[in-house]
Amino acid sequence: MTIWWLAFIVGSLAAVFLAFIWISIKLSGVQGGGKDKKKQGTTDLDKAYSDLAEEDVNHLFNKEFREELRNRGRLKFEQIVDENAMFLKQDLDLTISQLNDYMKQQISSKLDSEFQTYSKAMKEAQELTLSVLQKTANELDQQRQELSQAMQKSMTAHEANMLKNFENNMATVVEYYVLQSLGEQFDMKAQLPYIMKQMEEHKKEMMEDMLL
Amino acid sequence: MSEAAPELNLPPSVVSRADMTRLVRELELVDDELEAQKARRQGESGHYHLPNMSQALNDFLQLNKIDVASDRTRMDIKARLRKLKDHAPILHMTFATETDPESMQKLMAWVRRELHPQALISTGLQPSLIGGVYVRTPNHVHDLSLRTHMKDSRGLIVAALDKLKEVAQ
Repeated sequence: MTIWWLAFIVGSLAAVFLAFIWISIKLSGVQGGGKDKKKQGTTDLDKAYSDLAEEDVNHLFNKEFREELRNRGRLKFEQIVDENAMFLKQDLDLTISQLNDYMKQQISSKLDSEFQTYSKAMKEAQELTLSVLQKTANELDQQRQELSQAMQKSMTAHEANMLKNFENNMATVVEYYVLQSLGEQFDMKAQLPYIMKQMEEHKKEMMEDMLL
Repeated sequence: MSEAAPELNLPPSVVSRADMTRLVRELELVDDELEAQKARRQGESGHYHLPNMSQALNDFLQLNKIDVASDRTRMDIKARLRKLKDHAPILHMTFATETDPESMQKLMAWVRRELHPQALISTGLQPSLIGGVYVRTPNHVHDLSLRTHMKDSRGLIVAALDKLKEVAQ
């Protein structure tokens, strides 16, 4: 919006400048054209007056005078140009100031809006993240509890199994130990009392069998 | 009617059928020697020169109060010994360690005193028995080994462990 205003002001100033140029050219043209009309419209009678007038004109509007007029016109033109430039500068400053204010306002509002949107989105994302984290934490806690229970169950079963195996194999271990420990030291003389005792206990069965 | 001859008693030094075979062979050798002396008329006075005999044969003759100078007695004893060698009840005994003669004689004495006066023993070796003896009579098997005894006593260890577990809990 402000850019259009700026363009309009610049265009107006340019139009004023062009109009001033056109008027200057027209004025110089009027001066030249008047001289021609006098030359065309005058008769021979007037020719003398014309010559006289021309002489007066040349006398009045001599070179210094024209130079003076040109200087004055140039100064006036420069003054107008300076004033317009000053006005243009003021307008430009004002426009720039307004434009800055407007830009600040727009940017601020836009930024506020964006910040609000961003803040809202961040809040939603944060809530979503918190929700997901909470859900994940709950699932992890549940899985941990299940795993703990499963491990406890497995450990109990494993312990019972090991105990059972130990109990089952304990006798074998003891037998192996006894065999390795006594195998070579438990000679016949040492065994004889045990053998006699055992045979004494089974004497009746053996005797019946041998008498058959 | 002739009176039945008393059963022959075997000395403890005669343990196995191989000992019995050696005894019979030695008795046959003695018989041959005495027959030879008789043929040479060296024993007419009733005093034969007896050959050297093993301890087992000496024990056998003393135990049964046998006079080897008698031909009839020798013939009778030979025949009875041969019969006994083939028909004596044999006790197969497997031990965990090598046997020694002294222990075997003690064992043999007990067997003949308690089980059968003419029993013989066939021995075997099985170290996995740990101790004790594995006895095979003609119709039965008696596992008197320490291995079996310990195997049968496994329940004691388990019961002791259970008791310990109860105490621990």
